[in-house]
Amino acid sequence: MGHGVELLAALNLRTLPEQLANGIFLGAIYALIALGYTMVYGILRLINFAHGEVYMLGAYVSLFASRMLGFGPTSNKTDSSVVNLLIMLTASMIVCACVGVIIERFAYRPMRAHSRIASLITAIGVSLLLQYGGALFLPSSPPPSINEKVIPPVYRESSRIVLQAPPAELQRDLDSTQTIYLDAKKKYDFYMSTHQGVGEFDLAPDGQALHDKYKASLAPFNAAQAKADERSVVITVRHADIIILVTSVVLMGVLTYLVMFTKSGRAMRAVSHDFDSAALMGVNVNNTITFTFVLGSALAGAGSMMQATLKGPPLTTFFGFTPGVKAFVAAVLGGIGNIPGAVLGGLLMGVAEDFVIWLGYSNYSDAIAFVILIIVLLFRPGGILGSSKVEKV
Amino acid sequence: MLTRNLNYRLWAGAGLLAALFLAGCKSDSGTGGSSSSTTGNTASGSIKIGLVAALTGDLKPWGQDSQSGAKLMVEEYNKANPDKKVQLLVEDSTSKPESGKSAAEKLISEGCVVVLGEVASGISAAMKEATTSKQVPQIAVGATRTDLTKDSDYIFRVCYTDALQGPVMAKFAYEKLGLRNVALVTDEKQPYSVGLSDSFRTAFTKFGGTIVDEQKYNTGQTSFSGLLTNVKAKNPDGVFCSGYFTEVGPIVKQAREAGIQKSVPFLGGDGWDSQEIVNTGGDAIIGSYFCNHYNNKDKSDAVQSFLQKWTAAYGGSLPGTTMGALGYDAAGVALDALKRAKSSSAKDLRDAIDATDNYHGVSGDITLKGRHGDPPKRAIVVQLTEDKQQTFVKAYTFEDVFPSTAATPPAASTPPAAKK
Amino acid sequence: MFWPKRIASIAIGIGACFLIQAVAGKMFDFYGLRLVALAGLYVTLAVSLNLINGITGQFSIGHAAFYQIGAYFTGYLSIHYFAAGAGKVGGPVVWLIAMMIVGALGATIAGFVVGLPSLRLRGDYLAIVTLGFGEILRIIVQNQEALGGAYAMKDIPTIQSLWLVWALAFLCIAVCRNLLKTARGLTFVAVREDEVASAAMGVDVTKVKITAFMVGSAFAGAAGALLAHYEGLITPQTFAMDVSFIILTMVVLGGTGSITGSVVAAIFLSYLPEYLRNLKAPDGGTLYVTGATCLQWMLTIFAAVVLIRWISRSLQFPLVQRLGLYAAAVVGALVIGKLLGFGVNLISGLAAIQIDAGQLRMAIFAVALISVMLIRPQGIFAHHELSLTWLRGLVSRKRPAEVSA
Repeated sequence: MGHGVELLAALNLRTLPEQLANGIFLGAIYALIALGYTMVYGILRLINFAHGEVYMLGAYVSLFASRMLGFGPTSNKTDSSVVNLLIMLTASMIVCACVGVIIERFAYRPMRAHSRIASLITAIGVSLLLQYGGALFLPSSPPPSINEKVIPPVYRESSRIVLQAPPAELQRDLDSTQTIYLDAKKKYDFYMSTHQGVGEFDLAPDGQALHDKYKASLAPFNAAQAKADERSVVITVRHADIIILVTSVVLMGVLTYLVMFTKSGRAMRAVSHDFDSAALMGVNVNNTITFTFVLGSALAGAGSMMQATLKGPPLTTFFGFTPGVKAFVAAVLGGIGNIPGAVLGGLLMGVAEDFVIWLGYSNYSDAIAFVILIIVLLFRPGGILGSSKVEKV
Repeated sequence: MLTRNLNYRLWAGAGLLAALFLAGCKSDSGTGGSSSSTTGNTASGSIKIGLVAALTGDLKPWGQDSQSGAKLMVEEYNKANPDKKVQLLVEDSTSKPESGKSAAEKLISEGCVVVLGEVASGISAAMKEATTSKQVPQIAVGATRTDLTKDSDYIFRVCYTDALQGPVMAKFAYEKLGLRNVALVTDEKQPYSVGLSDSFRTAFTKFGGTIVDEQKYNTGQTSFSGLLTNVKAKNPDGVFCSGYFTEVGPIVKQAREAGIQKSVPFLGGDGWDSQEIVNTGGDAIIGSYFCNHYNNKDKSDAVQSFLQKWTAAYGGSLPGTTMGALGYDAAGVALDALKRAKSSSAKDLRDAIDATDNYHGVSGDITLKGRHGDPPKRAIVVQLTEDKQQTFVKAYTFEDVFPSTAATPPAASTPPAAKK
Repeated sequence: MFWPKRIASIAIGIGACFLIQAVAGKMFDFYGLRLVALAGLYVTLAVSLNLINGITGQFSIGHAAFYQIGAYFTGYLSIHYFAAGAGKVGGPVVWLIAMMIVGALGATIAGFVVGLPSLRLRGDYLAIVTLGFGEILRIIVQNQEALGGAYAMKDIPTIQSLWLVWALAFLCIAVCRNLLKTARGLTFVAVREDEVASAAMGVDVTKVKITAFMVGSAFAGAAGALLAHYEGLITPQTFAMDVSFIILTMVVLGGTGSITGSVVAAIFLSYLPEYLRNLKAPDGGTLYVTGATCLQWMLTIFAAVVLIRWISRSLQFPLVQRLGLYAAAVVGALVIGKLLGFGVNLISGLAAIQIDAGQLRMAIFAVALISVMLIRPQGIFAHHELSLTWLRGLVSRKRPAEVSA
């Protein structure tokens, strides 16, 4: 009980809005991946274990694309435009779609006649093959990451959204100390740039004076900043995250259009409703299934391209596994087979994960996904938006 | 019909099994034919030195470098002593502690009289179980966790310990950078990181600073926005990240994006050491400081001649991490001890290693005599500069941090605990 | 005649274990002995998983969790109480047997908990839940300082008893085998075949499923106890999800439902990584395979699988001819592989990648798993067993009228 009380006291409510925002951005990517799981399950009743690995491959495609565009690890190019990002996105989506189709054609289609467990084992095998086989061919030690220069500079910045401004006098203090600090920093930086090669601690007297003044202005600035932050609520939002959110929304919109308003989409819905009847009605089941995999894998490719480029983590061939599992849980949470459910589930999973981190249990943030999964499967297997009628029993 | 199927299958299975076991017998038995070998001639009389290195897995860049360094030293030694050649056997630890332990056991079973390795404390500790129980000396290459040498007489190292690294960075942060409120970010899954954070925290608070926040993450994590938001809220004037470069790069990059200003420096330990960190950290990490064992730009003779030998042997490239130099030194200490040892048995070699006094290594002078396995090495603080290189900033000798030079880790006076 | 025969076979079984220990002690050094012990542990794990998956048809893929519970639980107890308790019970080996039982009990409780969802979930959902349970457990253990945290649990008193490892394996095999011979045991198979029909015939499906989980996990827990004491050191990495998949591959490859298959596959697959590690280049250095060669092999295997599938699906021939066609298919695949090899070598980057033979381990497991599922999903041994009757049938001139499995 005492632990709980001190936990509550330590919770920093000021950071909650920012954590929630982080959670939504995280959730957008989970949603993209979850859509792939949910569509495949809806049609084939198969948990596509290898979907996380398709996601991983998309990230590697983005890496190679960025290198081909000239932004390798040793390059000094600094000018990039949105066109580069779009090229990477398209490449990633296309390659992932192809990989998804190949997996379906050669690993899943032969198993359609067998039990679902046989298909699942095959899916596990494919997943393992892509992870470990990929580790043999793809660079993963040390894990490479995409050069951030490929992102146009404006997208690399952040904006501060002030939800609640600090009181006026604290703001005044902050402004004045900030002016002094920035001024001293500018003078010091200019000095350092004209005196290349001199160590920070071996400066001549004039340089040392500038250095000391810079350091002296730092403490009041930080203190004023701290005081102001204590009395305000600010969210720092990276432009990159906004792009992720916007792109995800656009892609989901395109998906919805395809599913609701085109003939292929209608075929998908028909096949997921009833396999045999759809076939009897003249729907080309194989082509429809291929189409589903194309859509799902392309979305995963888009998600991984954005994650790998805009968030810049180091890539290994195992980096798709955990997001894959979390996205699967998201799909189940929202109601597997249900497209809006996948989106909702994804957002909830992102928020839940950041919530756990905010509470201070960041080392359990992976376990929370499985806990949510077990709870959902035991008590409401249909998920939030699905039916409570349990099809799994 | 069924029976015949069964026959074929079962006979095939049995035959396969038998064949496999026979093949296994040949290569497994210690008395059987020769097994692994690399440099040096394969005369069965030559002395064998073992190296456990992470040739695959997360620690591959360090492991590969330690292998290259050790090989370089062994080749040099063999050229200088053609009549007393030494054989270097290498086993992969796959970056996992229990594989490291079985790799050490394999090397011992093949007759190695000393086992070098590993680059990480967790794996070295696991290997220690094997080497201590089989009474074979072990020289750790890059393991810095302080308590590694505490409970065994058979383990030594050529690098400094976290007991030095933590206070060095704390001293640097407090005195040189003037930091007073530091946030601590630890990789919970790595014993190295946990130990280094503890060591830094103790030293920094002793100087009079405050640790304003402590955050934890796991190896392999890629998104740190959660913990960074928490760190930012506490307004530190510096952040100490004790983990490995794979996560530290993204952490620093995401920190800047989360709004932690450039005026707040990031600090770290030797886990940052790699070429990749400037790629994953990008612009954000330029200007950060960390503690390392030696520096490629060091003008001293020892380092420069080592670099010449290295580039000549390995196609013009410099060692990517300090493990190249440390691997070279570990092999060097072993071979130097071999010269001094009464015989080439493991026990005598262990005594000779223990008596190493002022061995001039690339990474500094190494003295193990009376130190219970922990040499008083010097630590170098480097900064990542615009040219994406590590630039020397300040050196701290052992005495700078522990003024009473006679001080050895307290564990030296207590006998190793009896194995339960 | 029952009891004397039963006691005789138990005695022979235990005698065989001592024999294994004696022979292995003479043939191998401590490193080789460890491999024999590991093989024995994997046999136990594979057979116990087979009990849940193959015989009862409940798809559980988090088996390493039970292994882990047994290991950590008994490791913790041994660290704290071995010194005090070993003397009282009469020596380390007796202590180890006691620990095995304790580990089994601990794992059984976990097996019960994992088995409960099986009552409501089927097939793939159950699989994911069992996987999830395994992961939750691993993460919880990893975060407990008392259990060594992410570091390792070490200083476990080392009690290396090879005969006990194999005795456990024999016990596991015997229990599963005898289960299938009794009427109670056949209910497990009935539940696998058709739950509804079994329930209609009066089988308590709930009890059967839970029992399967509990027995399977008990053996895994006992194996975990043995592992902890053999190695003296365990880390959460030892029980990562890889291990669950490896055991699953053993079961699938050997044949779900075939105990013999699990045993053979377990021994074979547990030895494979060592074999790969020992492969050396002709000059004695580490054996490296280029990326191009690797890809070529994969394409060859892929071609072989496709061809064999095509033959077995579309062409109806008697057995001998079919085997001949399979052989021709393999040859054909090799040819295709060679041809593709020229193309693959053209991709410059691939030829430069050096892959150490030991790294191929998991990739080979994955390829084996996929190939088995595509060509022969029921595994190599399917549901057949090696048995005395069958052996007698081989030896005697006249074939028995019926085939006993």
